[in-house]
Amino acid sequence: MADRTRHELHALNLPDFCAARAVLAVVLIVTLTAVVLTVARQAGALSFWLDLARTALFLLWSGLGSAAVLCLLRNRLAQMPLVGASASALLGVLGVIALVSAGVLWLGSSALLGPRATNLLLPETPWRFFAANLGIGTIVGALALRYFYVTGEWRRNVELQARARVYALQARIRPHFLFNSMNTIAALTRSDPARAEEAVEDLADLFRANLSEKRSSITLKEELEVARIYQRIEQLRLGERLHVIWDVTDLPMRAMVPGLLMQPLLENAIYHGIEPRPGGGIVTVSGALDGDIIGLTVRNPLPEAGDAAHSGNRIALDNIRERMELLYPGRSSVEANRIGDEYIVRLRFPYIEDTVRASSL
Amino acid sequence: MTQRVLIVDDEAPARERLRRLLGELSNVEVAAEASSGEQAVRLAAELHPDVVLLDVRMPGMNGLEVARHLAIFSEPPAVVFTTAYDAYAVEAFEARAMGYLLKPVRVEKLETALRHAARLASTQLARLSAGDPARVARTHVAARLGDQVRLIPVPEIYYFAADQKYTTVRHRGGSDLIEDALRALEEEFATQFVRVHRNALVNINSLAAIERDAEGQYHVVVRVLNERLTVSRRLAGELRDRFRL
Repeated sequence: MADRTRHELHALNLPDFCAARAVLAVVLIVTLTAVVLTVARQAGALSFWLDLARTALFLLWSGLGSAAVLCLLRNRLAQMPLVGASASALLGVLGVIALVSAGVLWLGSSALLGPRATNLLLPETPWRFFAANLGIGTIVGALALRYFYVTGEWRRNVELQARARVYALQARIRPHFLFNSMNTIAALTRSDPARAEEAVEDLADLFRANLSEKRSSITLKEELEVARIYQRIEQLRLGERLHVIWDVTDLPMRAMVPGLLMQPLLENAIYHGIEPRPGGGIVTVSGALDGDIIGLTVRNPLPEAGDAAHSGNRIALDNIRERMELLYPGRSSVEANRIGDEYIVRLRFPYIEDTVRASSL
Repeated sequence: MTQRVLIVDDEAPARERLRRLLGELSNVEVAAEASSGEQAVRLAAELHPDVVLLDVRMPGMNGLEVARHLAIFSEPPAVVFTTAYDAYAVEAFEARAMGYLLKPVRVEKLETALRHAARLASTQLARLSAGDPARVARTHVAARLGDQVRLIPVPEIYYFAADQKYTTVRHRGGSDLIEDALRALEEEFATQFVRVHRNALVNINSLAAIERDAEGQYHVVVRVLNERLTVSRRLAGELRDRFRL
C-alpha cells in the first residue's frame, strides 16, 4: 500500500521491464519496427531479408538492452521525482544505443566478417551512424516516456475514481438503517438490556468495518462475519419476517475478497426483498468453490407488488463490479437476474489466498 | 380529558418503545397497537382513537395511504407521522405543517406533538402523495359506509364508473361509492386500469373482449361479471390493438 502511494506521487509509470510480458512486448515491437524500417528503406544493393536481419539485430540488442537497464534501475527510478526519473531512463536507453552502435562499428573494423560483408552490411561513416542512432533513440525514447506517463496518469485517475466511489459507498450506510437501529436499541435498552448491549457492539463493529481504510481486500471469513453482524441487527427489528439461510461451509475462508462485498448484497436483499413484503421472506446466501473460481449467490424474493425504485441496488452492484475488476482484472463477474419470483445476484471471482499477491495485482 | 392513541408500526421494538413513552405521559392512554396499515384502518374505525401515531414506511399499505383512508372518516382521528429517516417525507411534512416525529422519539417531542396533533384533510394528503418521487399507487380504495370504512383491495376491483357526483367501484365484494374523482384514479392507477369511456375506468385484467352491436356502438365485456360497458369510438381501436381483443 505504501509502495503504491509513492508511485502515485512520482507518476512515471514505466511498465515492469523485469516481467516476461514486457520483454515479449519489447521483442514484438522491435521486430515490427525493423520490418517497417526495412520496407521503407528499400535498400537497393541488399536483399530485403538481409536488410531486415541486420536492422532487427541492431534493434533487438538496443531494445532488450534498454529493457534490462530499465529493469535494473526500476527501484531507483521509482524513488526519483518525475523529471529526474524521465531523464535517467532516457539516458540509460541512449547509453545502451551508444554501446550497441559502438559494437557494430567495432565489428566493421575487425576482420571477423570478412571484407565483403563489411562493405555491404556495415556503415561507412561512423559519426553519422552514431548521430542518427542517438537522435532516433532520443525521439523514440521521449515519446515512449510521454506515452507511459499519460497512460499511468490515466490509470491512476481510474483507480482514484474507483476508490473515491468505494469511500462514498462505505460512508453511505443507509441512514434508514442507522436510525431504525438506533430506535430498536432505544426500545431494547429497558426491555432487554443484554440484547441492547449486544446490538450496540454489533453496530460498532459494522461501522468500524465500513469506515476502515484497509478494506481494499480482506479474507472471506472476515467479510462473512460483517454480513452476519448486519443480519443480527436487522433480525432484532424485523423479527419473524426475516430468515437468512447461510450455505457457505464449502467456501475457502482464507480467500481474499474486496471489503464490503457481501454486506451490501445482503443489505439490498433485505431492503428490497424482505422489508416491502408484509409477510417477510427468506434470503439465501450460498457459495461454492469450482476449481479456482469462487461463486457466491444471494437470492431474495421479489416484492409482492408495486416495484419500488431499484436504483440503489444498481449502484451497489456497479460498485462491487468495479472493485472486483480492480482486484481481479478481467477475471470476475457480477450477474443480477430475476428468475421466477426471485432476485438472484451471482458473483464469480478467482480464489486468491496470498494477501501480498492479491493487493499487488 | 384523556387522549386515546393508536400506535401503528410494522416493527415490534418501535411499537414497544412508543407504548412505554406514552405510559410516561399523563392524560394519555394507548387504545391499541397495529402492525400493518390495513389493521390500523380497521382498528381506527372500530375504536375511534383521538390520535394515530403512524409509521410512514410500512410494507403493503404505507403510512401515507393509511392517513388518506382515515381522512374520509366522518370523524377522522388526528395523525402524527413517525419516521426513522425519509428525507422526502420530512420535507413534505414541514412544508405542510403536518405533525411528525423522528425515531428514536424523544418523550418531550412526543408530548408536544400530541398536544398539537391535528386532523388532516384528504385533499391535503392526496397532494402530499402525488408529489412523492417514490410514489406508489394505493393498495386499497376506501368507501365510507356511515360510521364504518370499507377497504377495497385494488386488484379485486373490476371497474370504476362515474356519474354526476360520485364514483362507483364495482368489485368482487359488490359495489360501493367512493369520493375519488375518476381523473385522479386514472392517473394513480395508470399501470393497472385503462379508460374506456369518459365515465369508466376498467381493470386491465378484467378486459375480456370488445363487441360491436347492431347500431355500431362498441362495448367492452368485463370478465367474471359479464357486464358490458360502453366504449367510446375513439378508444375502441386503441384498446383492441393494445390488448389484442
